[in-house]
Amino acid sequence: MWQKLKDGIEIRIGLTDLIENRLRQYRVPSDTNIFYTLGIVTMAAYVVQAITGYFLLMYYVPHSEHAFRSVQDIMTIIPFGWFVRMVHMVAANLMVALLFIHFISIFFMGSYKKPREITWLAGGLLLLVTLAFCLSGYLLPWSQRSYWATTIVSNLPTAFPVIGDALANLLRGGDSVTGITLTRFFSLHVGFLPPVFLSIVGLHIFLVWRIGLSVPPLSQSAEEESEWTEFRHATYSRSYPFYPNFLLKEVSMIMLFLAVTFFIMSFMPTLFLPEAATTPADPLNTPADIKPEWYFLAPYQMLKMIPNKFLGISLQIIAIIVFLFWPFFDTRAERNIMKRPLIFGIFLVLLALWFLLTYWGRYSA
Amino acid sequence: MVLTNLLGEVLSVRYIYILSLVILVSVATTASAGYREIFEKEFLSKPWSTDIVAESACIECHTSEVMDEKFRSIPQDWRVSWHAQNNVSCHDCHGGDSEDASMAMSHKRGFTGSPNYTDIPEMCGKCHIGILKNYVESGHGKALIEEGTGPNCITCHGSHNVQKVHIDIINAQLCSKCHPYERAKIMKQALFLTEKKIEKIENDLADLRKQGVYPDREEKNLFNTQAQFRTLFHTIDVTVVKDKTNFFTSQLNSIEDDIKGTFEELSFRKKFSTFLMLIFAGTWAIVTLIIRSKD
Amino acid sequence: MKRRSFLGVLGTLFGVTAFGSVAYPLLRYLGPPQAEIDAGKQSFKKADVGDAREIVFQNTPAIIINRPGKGYIALSRVCTHLGCLIDYDRKSKKLICPCHAGFFNLEGRVESGPPPKALTTFPLRVEGEDIIIG
Repeated sequence: MWQKLKDGIEIRIGLTDLIENRLRQYRVPSDTNIFYTLGIVTMAAYVVQAITGYFLLMYYVPHSEHAFRSVQDIMTIIPFGWFVRMVHMVAANLMVALLFIHFISIFFMGSYKKPREITWLAGGLLLLVTLAFCLSGYLLPWSQRSYWATTIVSNLPTAFPVIGDALANLLRGGDSVTGITLTRFFSLHVGFLPPVFLSIVGLHIFLVWRIGLSVPPLSQSAEEESEWTEFRHATYSRSYPFYPNFLLKEVSMIMLFLAVTFFIMSFMPTLFLPEAATTPADPLNTPADIKPEWYFLAPYQMLKMIPNKFLGISLQIIAIIVFLFWPFFDTRAERNIMKRPLIFGIFLVLLALWFLLTYWGRYSA
Repeated sequence: MVLTNLLGEVLSVRYIYILSLVILVSVATTASAGYREIFEKEFLSKPWSTDIVAESACIECHTSEVMDEKFRSIPQDWRVSWHAQNNVSCHDCHGGDSEDASMAMSHKRGFTGSPNYTDIPEMCGKCHIGILKNYVESGHGKALIEEGTGPNCITCHGSHNVQKVHIDIINAQLCSKCHPYERAKIMKQALFLTEKKIEKIENDLADLRKQGVYPDREEKNLFNTQAQFRTLFHTIDVTVVKDKTNFFTSQLNSIEDDIKGTFEELSFRKKFSTFLMLIFAGTWAIVTLIIRSKD
Repeated sequence: MKRRSFLGVLGTLFGVTAFGSVAYPLLRYLGPPQAEIDAGKQSFKKADVGDAREIVFQNTPAIIINRPGKGYIALSRVCTHLGCLIDYDRKSKKLICPCHAGFFNLEGRVESGPPPKALTTFPLRVEGEDIIIG
């Protein structure tokens, strides 16, 4: 009977041929390391977010009077509501961490170079969309931390002369963070950003699949790649099939990601829940030390350091543009970063600077 | 052909583009936007910054150089008080207009000045209604009203430097001023166990908060119970206190049970998450082994 | 061969357990929350209530008041400031909190004092001689 089903599908879709060509024949270069799986693990994190987010949507109330109470109800009254909420919160932070590691490893391996520039650009946009998800998401519980951290971040556009205030008011729906901001961010988080994210990630995954995985430049099978003058799928001197070998690698890394998520939930449940995050928002009462989330600490600290507001924010915007379009700036064909000490040096300095600013932002007054 | 050559040349200096952009923007902004003071004014001094706190008119005068020594120390006494932490300030007790210096001590705005010894319970009782009622009927209250002596609120609690109550407010030094300490000691013993329970519950609630819980209902319940209990104390009647102790103890016990339930729930959550972590870690290990076996 | 199939079986076992352990909470989550089931209704006779009566509804101390000219209302007695139980003062027709003199009117709204917001109202319905809360 099982065979009959398979035959039926075979006549209509030609599944065997599909699996054979797309999955088994699809080759992956040997010497791929675990960093190669980070992309799909990040995607798995997104799927976890989407599922838990959808479940949270069933009980969450996006109104300033009820938001905090509805989140508390999810944590205490709804059966296993705490589970859904905690997974959503931990996986969100892990997803950002994974994204950072993913793009650092891509940079390190020079996998953004021709013909993969658009892939990098799409990836950069995905990072920005994810950060927008995070920003709009953590206002939703309407806690002290939500309210005040959003107040700070929504004041950043005021750094621009002339259009600054208008921009900030557009973001917030008013002069200050109110219930209107809450519903605005909610519609962003739930309605607008998911389709944007999915379309860009669709493009990103299509490009990765179409061009083929890059060969690790530091591996033994790396060789001089000839000029890309016309389209061809990447070829490898040594490779193994995508299915089942590479797919199993991806599955194992996804399992590891989930294990880490539950580890944090068991042993460090308050890692992302400072006291201010479990107190309802009070617009009249600023808590002693408001800080944005860890991934925003470095830009925040940089802005605090630079005395000129406009300069600070412009530098950051220039940095973002350079980051997004980097493959178009750096077009030298050499992918082995060890053979490019200048770029490697700058890369390490910037990385160290990011850690320093984040640490400083965390512990400064 | 010529165009692509030109393009090639232009593109080869792309790094200079970035640099020139940065320089241009820096020069423009430094010239036009200003320095640290403006940043401080616009960014750090926003209403949500903790640096700037609006000083009331009362405090401004009472901390100034020309103020009499004995009045100048008052604002700093108040600043460390429990009232100050809860945004209760000068005008809330003394009246007057805290925003307009010219009307800050005007009778038209209800200014009452420094009250007489016998008028103090009424001043505190403006807010602490329940306590005033019990106090007035108590031995202490009667002593004040009928004889003009006897302790008023500030005898035990201080005036500007009011702190959170603690059972050691009842002590030999304070209470033996008018009568032997023996009576006060009996009262203190009657209060002791209930107070200890209240303290323990407060600590448990702080614990729960640290673990990411928002124990709103229990905190409100505790506040109500301890407020009722401490209000009752002001009757200074040991029999009444001993009578009601069972009632309060059972209320506190039910709060403790709720808290215990919450701790158990937290422990279940930890176990459940640990179980899931182990399952997924195990799956990861097995899949890794499968990969190894296929290579 | 034996090792391969053993790993396969083990892997399937762990995989299914993992999937089940995640699916179980999600399915329970979709079920109706217990609180909704517990929230019953309470009914009182008008004669028993009189002009005001203190009750306990959904574990919260509450009060039903017969407002002159405006009918019945059921309000929570938990003051929105710090949680003390408010008392009904018949003379002034106000709800007063003995802890810090929070004054509420008979709609439950704050008239003076530290409470930040109005008292919670409970749904109330009058059917003939019965008053039904919830």
